[in-house]
Amino acid sequence: MPAEPGVLARPDREAVIPITVERRGLRLPLFSLAMIALFVVAALVAPLLSLPDPTAQSLRARYTPPAWLDGGSREHLLGTDRLGRDLLSRIVWGARVSLAAGVVTVLLASAFGAAVGLAAGYYGGRVDATLMRITDATLSFPVILLALILAVTVGPSFTNVVIAIAVILWARYARVIRGQVLTLMRLDFVAQARLAGAGAWRIITRHLLPNTLGTLLVLVTLQIGYVIIVEASLSFLGAGIPPPTPAWGSMIAEGRDVVTRAWWVSLFPGLAILLVVLAFNLLGDWLRDTFDPKLRQL
Amino acid sequence: MGEERRRSPPFRTSRWGSCSKRQTARTMLRFIFARLLQSLVALAIISVVVFALARATGDPLYLILPMSASQEDFDNARRYLGLDRPYVEQYLSFVGRAVTGDFGNSLRARRPVSDLIRERLPNSLKLAVFAMGVSLAMAFPLGVMAAVRKGTGLDRFAQVVSVLGQSLPTFWVAILLVEFVAGRLQWLPAGGIQGFTSYILPGFTLGWFVVAGLMRLLRSGMLEVLDSEYVKLARVKGVGEGRVIWLHALKNALIPVITFAGIYFAILVTTAIVVETVFAWPGLGRLAYEGISSRDFPVIQAVVLTTAAIVAVINLCVDCLYALIDPRIRYAR
Amino acid sequence: MKRASAMAQVFLLILVLLGAMLGLAPAGDAWAQPKTELTVALSSFATEVLDPPLGGHLVKYYLSMIFDYLVGTTPDGQPSREGGLATRWESSPDYKRWTFHLRKGVKFHNGDELTSEDVKFSIMRNIGKRSTTGYAGPLRTLIADIETPAPDRIVIVSKEPTLIFPTYLSRSLSTEGMIVPKKYVESVGDDAFARKPIGSGPYRFVEQVTGSHVKLAAVDNHWRIGTPKFKTMTFRLVPEETTRIALLRRGEVDVADVSRERVPELERESFPIHYRREESILTMWWILGPDGPVAPTKDKRVREALNLAIDRAEIAQSIFGGKAEPASVPLGLSWSFKDVGFKPTPEMVYPYDPARARKLLADAGVGSGFNLDIYAYQLPGLPEGKTLAEAVAGYWEKLGIKTRLIPVDYPAFRKAWVDRATPGAVGYFNIANRDWIGAYALLEKMAYTPAKGNATVNDPEIDAMIAQVMRQTDREKINTLVRGVYTRLRSEHYGVPVVYLHSPYATSKSLGKWNVGSVMYDLFFDVLASGK
Repeated sequence: MPAEPGVLARPDREAVIPITVERRGLRLPLFSLAMIALFVVAALVAPLLSLPDPTAQSLRARYTPPAWLDGGSREHLLGTDRLGRDLLSRIVWGARVSLAAGVVTVLLASAFGAAVGLAAGYYGGRVDATLMRITDATLSFPVILLALILAVTVGPSFTNVVIAIAVILWARYARVIRGQVLTLMRLDFVAQARLAGAGAWRIITRHLLPNTLGTLLVLVTLQIGYVIIVEASLSFLGAGIPPPTPAWGSMIAEGRDVVTRAWWVSLFPGLAILLVVLAFNLLGDWLRDTFDPKLRQL
Repeated sequence: MGEERRRSPPFRTSRWGSCSKRQTARTMLRFIFARLLQSLVALAIISVVVFALARATGDPLYLILPMSASQEDFDNARRYLGLDRPYVEQYLSFVGRAVTGDFGNSLRARRPVSDLIRERLPNSLKLAVFAMGVSLAMAFPLGVMAAVRKGTGLDRFAQVVSVLGQSLPTFWVAILLVEFVAGRLQWLPAGGIQGFTSYILPGFTLGWFVVAGLMRLLRSGMLEVLDSEYVKLARVKGVGEGRVIWLHALKNALIPVITFAGIYFAILVTTAIVVETVFAWPGLGRLAYEGISSRDFPVIQAVVLTTAAIVAVINLCVDCLYALIDPRIRYAR
Repeated sequence: MKRASAMAQVFLLILVLLGAMLGLAPAGDAWAQPKTELTVALSSFATEVLDPPLGGHLVKYYLSMIFDYLVGTTPDGQPSREGGLATRWESSPDYKRWTFHLRKGVKFHNGDELTSEDVKFSIMRNIGKRSTTGYAGPLRTLIADIETPAPDRIVIVSKEPTLIFPTYLSRSLSTEGMIVPKKYVESVGDDAFARKPIGSGPYRFVEQVTGSHVKLAAVDNHWRIGTPKFKTMTFRLVPEETTRIALLRRGEVDVADVSRERVPELERESFPIHYRREESILTMWWILGPDGPVAPTKDKRVREALNLAIDRAEIAQSIFGGKAEPASVPLGLSWSFKDVGFKPTPEMVYPYDPARARKLLADAGVGSGFNLDIYAYQLPGLPEGKTLAEAVAGYWEKLGIKTRLIPVDYPAFRKAWVDRATPGAVGYFNIANRDWIGAYALLEKMAYTPAKGNATVNDPEIDAMIAQVMRQTDREKINTLVRGVYTRLRSEHYGVPVVYLHSPYATSKSLGKWNVGSVMYDLFFDVLASGK
């Protein structure tokens, strides 16, 4: 039995058995899950709800306040933005865009990063050295600068935002997963599997990968929120998801000059981001504490 | 790289073991040398990538020359600025001069880029230092409180407050602070560098982002120690709770915090572009943005390389610190 | 004990960190803004090279403080004998020899006397190979020689008869007329000069931190100002508007350019707002293909329909906060109208008539709609750029046109414009208003087929008219030709003129009278400093 803390696998089995979850403090993660579910569901059923067209503009209805204020109207519950587009509708439709951006980016980055990490950890030697140098180089390239360069070169778009972030984000996964794999490689069960004649593919997919899933899950959860925040910053700099597509980040950025006059334009999408990202972060924290408190470096 | 172990503070292993000082020094040197080499390789990779990317952004001449410029004007300007040479030649001359610190002339400002960097880098560094200070000042009480009062409402509160910093878009926090704290209440300066107080708002905005990570480290580090046999023994012996917390637990929890502070510092330096824009802070991030906007290749290349070099240097120091503390690292590949 | 010392080390580290932060502060701060210092917060510096031939075609705010012009300009754009180095000028009867009489006793900031040698040197340098100013081209084509018969007199000899020299070398356009010291430039070289420029203007260069600020200090008794109200002038680059306004509220800056959107809240707090009236015209148009306009905008009816589909009054009211007037002539620089005697008739005003627009599209055979790309970008001085593009797209969508917004930044748009990579796509420019000579310069750039910068107007009649103006010296004939150009631009719908813009500048409450003028990229801070 290994003395290494933080290893999920029972070394005499191939698959992973997650450790039992302590009953303590389930309220916070459940609340977070509920919040995330709320937005995901809203995003999915957006076309079915009878909301006004999120891209329909009316200059006359520009900066209408929310319905409960003077000058507000039932037609636009949360008010309108600088082109008279309904805010509530844009937030709901924007959920699709922002959440999709977060999820797709993170999935791409984690898949590629995990693959690199597994390969580096398993093969070691020159493969490891080369992959790690590339990973180091990627890690020191600032995400925002790369996104700006892409935006300026091929124009800002949903795809470019996803690519720009994923292209740098994978390195983080690679590093962490590699570290885990190095630990796992020293365990008996890997040696046993080798002796039994298992090939690289089998060992990686049957022995190593399942044991890193916990870490991956933690990272993925934490990073979705991070990607949504980065998209918002990119919108501020002009490299985010472009109009007229509703996206929370660009909605806040657009409303920043009327932050007192038409506070609702920034506040409501800001609250949306806050709730969703907070939920993801808290959930990720809880997952990490549950799976392995020693993963503090994440 | 032995990373998976370097994050756990070695409570009970002896720091220096039985190695002689000379052996330690020699392995340390070998270690430093190896890491240095690796950093250089990473920098070389980055230099190629940024060279290609910068040139892909477009032609700076469209901004430099007026609309009425003829084809001849374009050709002249291209020749004058050295943009008509083959790419390989441009790259080699770029790298050749870069190692001596000469990044060429900014196409837009017509001044040596190294001058521009020398003007702006200290501003970024100073802001990052301040932001780090703010971050630590927030993370410490929050982390200690969360650990000591684990599981209670205070623990939850501390967690939420720190995570809040990562859950709000930076530019929004910055703009709200400028509008209300600086503009309406007029408590603090709104922008530019004009004294100590100018650091507060941008420093807080920047620093809040990394409070969560530091607080988490402190909290879990302290929790581990507070749970350990050693501390239980101390308690049994009758050592006061205060001493237990501050002397024993905190001290041990600090090691990962310090090393991570280094990494977060690198993040602060390199991701401050939004804060710099809102607070009109003349730093490296803003320089990069202007460079990209004007397709100023030398500036883009120089800033990215400088940033990467800073990250590499900080990572190197952090690794050395770990290697000093934990001898096992030095021998790992 | 080892542990205690480690503990102490850590606390020491934190103390050092805090101490470092305190030590970062230079002594004193600038909260109290004495009235003798003027601080201006600008959203963009556009160019930060302080050398007239390099990039002065964008922003002259501080350059016109450091340097003097050969020919001065009043705040409303008329040539002035008081504001420039030339106290008077005249031309030979054949308009080929222009004599400028220079002011006597003008000194550069390093004490050198300003003579005709400096003027000749500066002009040749400003239109030389290194120059990137907007009007160097025509000057280069025309200037045969510059003679310096006396220290206070120069004669510019032109290859062809022309009227443009005084205006092109004046403050109203760009920086070709800025005078630099010949001896100093030749001794330190171009690069060193750009870093520490020396001029003869009312404010001399003190320091520049690129991306942050430019600081100038007053010359004691300058012929342009007399005793200056402000001992120093600092121009600060503050890209974010909320920050500019906060700085104004805190009294840290005295002048800030603000967007039209935020004027009401500032007016409510009694901040004086100065407007540059009709400072520019905002016109949209279509990029040409390699052989001229492409379908469907090739069809005049389609162009007219696109014009009729926009509610200019609503755009002026809502997007531009009422600080705009609907425009009716593409490229119609309203100041030049007076000069050439052009008056837009009531028929020229585009009504908001989507029904008629739809009919015109049907007549042209595209009633079922077509694809139209619209570039969306911010321009310096036009923060509403993207909003405008979206709004116009919205109007055209109502006609059944399928619009697609292409977000770019300005340099990328410039490239698309010149490369003509996307013919038929819509772009827009915010063109600074100017007098008839300046207007001609613009038409020559943007409505004249052979011009490289032009990518929208391809009309042989207009080309013929513009070519004639180039060689014409009879004002009446010139006026007739320019009127003809404007009339045809409008009748052929060679563009979508949107609005004339008024640009607001907010100042501190104690700044006093300021005639901000409406000259291109110049805010007349010297007039402000003179207190007149």
